[in-house]
Amino acid sequence: MEGMVQSSVPQYSKPFHSLPRNPTSVPIPRIKATHRRIPQLTSHSFLPSISSPLPSSMLLQKGGTVPFATPEVGVSNTETREWAMQDFYTLRKDVETVVERVEEIRGGAGLKQLQEDLAALEAAAADSSLWDNRAKAQETLQALTDCKDKLMLLHDFKAQADDAETIIKLTEEMDSIDSALLQEASGIIKELNKALDRFELTQLLSGPYDKEAAVITITAGAGGTDAQDWADMLLRMYVRWGEKQRYKTKVVEKSVGEEAGIKSATIEIEGRYAYGYLSGEKGTHRIVRQSPFNSKGLRQTSFSGVEVMPLLPEDSLDVEIPEEDLDISFTRAGGKGGQNVNKVETAVRITHIPTGVAVRCTEERSQLANKIKALSRLKAKLLVIAEEQRASEIKQIRGDAVKAEWGQQIRNYVFHPYKLVKDVRTAYETSDITSVMDGELDPFIKAYLKHKYTLAAKPTGLT
Amino acid sequence: MRLSFIRPISCCAVSSSPSTSFKPQTPLFLRPPTFKTTLSDLKKWHLWAKSLASSVSSTFLKLDNGPNSELLLRELNWLIEDTIETPKSFFQETINPVSTRVCLDELYNLWKQRVEKRRPFQYIVGCEHWRDLVLSVEEGVLIPRPETELIVDLVDDVIKENEELKEGLWADLGTGSGALAIGIARVLGSDGRVIATDLSPVATAVASYNVQRYDLEEKVHVKQGSWFEPLRDDEGEFVGLVSNPPYIPSKEIGGLQAEVGRHEPRLALDGGESGMNDLIHLCDGAVSMLKPGGFFAFETNGDEQSKFLVHYIETKKQGNFSKVKMVSDFAGIKRFITGFRGR
Repeated sequence: MEGMVQSSVPQYSKPFHSLPRNPTSVPIPRIKATHRRIPQLTSHSFLPSISSPLPSSMLLQKGGTVPFATPEVGVSNTETREWAMQDFYTLRKDVETVVERVEEIRGGAGLKQLQEDLAALEAAAADSSLWDNRAKAQETLQALTDCKDKLMLLHDFKAQADDAETIIKLTEEMDSIDSALLQEASGIIKELNKALDRFELTQLLSGPYDKEAAVITITAGAGGTDAQDWADMLLRMYVRWGEKQRYKTKVVEKSVGEEAGIKSATIEIEGRYAYGYLSGEKGTHRIVRQSPFNSKGLRQTSFSGVEVMPLLPEDSLDVEIPEEDLDISFTRAGGKGGQNVNKVETAVRITHIPTGVAVRCTEERSQLANKIKALSRLKAKLLVIAEEQRASEIKQIRGDAVKAEWGQQIRNYVFHPYKLVKDVRTAYETSDITSVMDGELDPFIKAYLKHKYTLAAKPTGLT
Repeated sequence: MRLSFIRPISCCAVSSSPSTSFKPQTPLFLRPPTFKTTLSDLKKWHLWAKSLASSVSSTFLKLDNGPNSELLLRELNWLIEDTIETPKSFFQETINPVSTRVCLDELYNLWKQRVEKRRPFQYIVGCEHWRDLVLSVEEGVLIPRPETELIVDLVDDVIKENEELKEGLWADLGTGSGALAIGIARVLGSDGRVIATDLSPVATAVASYNVQRYDLEEKVHVKQGSWFEPLRDDEGEFVGLVSNPPYIPSKEIGGLQAEVGRHEPRLALDGGESGMNDLIHLCDGAVSMLKPGGFFAFETNGDEQSKFLVHYIETKKQGNFSKVKMVSDFAGIKRFITGFRGR
């Protein structure tokens, strides 16, 4: 039924382009993450340039040219930088630490298992029946590439740690200090640490939707202007964070408060792993400060809710929700509606009755467009909740648990009487509240991801 | 008593091609971006427009349930979307000068009209986003409402199970911008057709323009005339009738939100003393127009009118219709009556 399908899919006719002759053939824009930032996790891109003859042979084992991503760290300041003994000891300590870290990561990554996997996958890839099933073949090849990449990385980590260690040993054996060499070791461990950070974080992001773009919805809690101002501060914080990550960040909806701040806002953050990083931000954020809206400057506690959902491509939202499970309402503020009113109120709210999970969409110009967008957000939300609860079907979602989890207080921001931001779950804290409000969220995000990883690892460890 | 336009008197010539004397306006977003404005001038305008919107606060809301600042600010963003060639780069201030579809003076003028004269936003930009359509509208044509979107869903539901309805002849009475006719034409099967009628030559011209923009000339015929008059040739042939007729009681017109009462065509709003003159006329006419088994869906002013009409059909049109019921809009108001012509 061709006609029907067309009617149910919005074409979001873009206002700034002329409609083509046949509007029914307007391509349907997918909600798709573009401009994704790809973490540089493959092969050598993080390797520092090597000018010393000694370790290069160890580094360039795989042959081919090395794309030098960093400037020539090894030689740059050789002449100007004088290495004192003190610096050497510090460097030696750093190298020891990084060597330990590499060992730890290599141990945790299950090297032996990886090698077995590689052997099995290589065998499968070499099998003559490989292409009998095209989809499966591609899956196998992708897995093989991933496995190879990972092994290569782990190997590189070791090679670099060894290089740095060799330099330290050489220096110890020599009478004099070779500044160029030490400089090089210093460069190596700096880059290596960055690569290890990235590796660790990516290891933590293995959820099915972690690679996707994200939608953040911020809603001011009860408490009027103070809470609405707090919601606005959070909005700014996430926008700044998104910009710092060089993600495409867009405030798609914003409902301003009467006096100050916002009642709610929705941000779309497009970029690789945006959802993975942000997923731990959902919950209630609490602020304690002297109210700027109260002449007495009394200490005031306000709350704002943050929800994070992946922005899933339409074709991956493979969920059928029975019509009778949906409660759809739209805000036509009171009154008689219909011809009596002409207001651009097209907001749609959809509640999934069995679970009580609700979403709202107000940014589109027509009601149908909002309804479709709200429905795909609802589906994404249900998928995420199902995944969190390890439910195989939407039906199995426990609504009460959703409410408790998604509304849980996760972080305190204390501006007064002292300055402190503290995550309730990870206990990570900082007194540099200005930076946090400026979008410096990475330490919190990282701490949470580690925390989540540890929690997830526990049950499997027991079985 | 004012002259009633609601009687089925054929005061206008029935013509299959609407009057060509009226040329519909092109919506802003379809105009070429031929004007250049410096970024700083445009920013100045934006600032001015924002503060004008903010100054409204909730004055209109209290006055006549009109828009508050928040809604006006949303509209302002959409005005920018429709008039600036690259709205995103304007907000990011990455482009200078900025290409616009109207000149700067006109931007000032348009926003002044919006806020000070309460001219409806849709007339300002010349279009309304309705379902998945962007329909051209202008003074003299009712701006389609979000509630009415539901009628297309109601039709979609009944044709899903009924091939005859899906491939048959439909009518949209009092089509206005052509919204319902176009929405329905797009869900019908390949043989399905819609005749859209309207008394107003402005409406028929705008509806024809919209039909043409969606490339539906083969499926939708726009005819000028009062209610069923232009449909006489096909009497008894229709498998479906839909209408969003004027249904506001005459005495309430004066108290409407300024955007509606002062700017939208009274012809499309005023349903006579009870508001139901046209609705009753439609119910009466539906008997002879519809094929047995044919479907109808009419929009009403809400609960009271819907109840009255269902009662009217059940008592006065006894035996002519079946499965007559009220359907609520998303706000829970019994906005529509639907039913089938008895077999």
